[in-house]
Amino acid sequence: MIRQYEVVYIFDSSLEEPQVNEHLDRFHELLKTPEHPEPITGMAHWGKRTLAYPIKKKEVGYYVVAHFETDTQLLNEFERAIKLNESVLRYLVVINEGLPADRLDLPAADDRADEDDDDLPRKDQKVAAQDAEEDDATESKKTDDAGADASGDEESE
Amino acid sequence: MPKASKTCPVCESGNRIVDYKDERTLSRYITERGKILPSRLSGMCARHQRQLTRAVKRARHLALLPFIKGHGR
Repeated sequence: MIRQYEVVYIFDSSLEEPQVNEHLDRFHELLKTPEHPEPITGMAHWGKRTLAYPIKKKEVGYYVVAHFETDTQLLNEFERAIKLNESVLRYLVVINEGLPADRLDLPAADDRADEDDDDLPRKDQKVAAQDAEEDDATESKKTDDAGADASGDEESE
Repeated sequence: MPKASKTCPVCESGNRIVDYKDERTLSRYITERGKILPSRLSGMCARHQRQLTRAVKRARHLALLPFIKGHGR
């Protein structure tokens, strides 16, 4: 029986994108059948994000989301391959509940910096936002720190 | 903490599904320690409260949300 699934992988953040793609290709190869040569219907790299809690003593993970449709029979082998792969910190396979593929991309982690700072003065929020824009590639934790530092200075004056 | 409104916030937004990947939205429905808000406080209808519960638990598994906020920090 063919079903729609969604999978989220968290890779070790020491891997770079080409290596991640290599792993992904290996996993997705297992989903292919002669009747279904193109199982992947959508894919999004969220990139490196700070984890809410450490997993295997790592604070940062590389997130990838993919939609695919495959035969239920193939899923066991697919999950087994992911479990055995040491560079996948965590994964989640769920039945796709009809969310369109274009919602795979989420607002990046940089928006989160000002969310907690509700009681900060306006100015600081802007500063935090600017920092977030500048350091798009860097992890959100750093921008959080920057925001906190800025607020500390402001209050002392 | 959002005040309880008479209408369910998910129904009102027009989304029929609570997405476990949308951790910004989910974070509005957990306490400052990371517990899931009861529907009495979240204001959600029963269907969406069930979806929320599942979504928060999935998000926790993926380290998008903490199991316990402020733990060990």
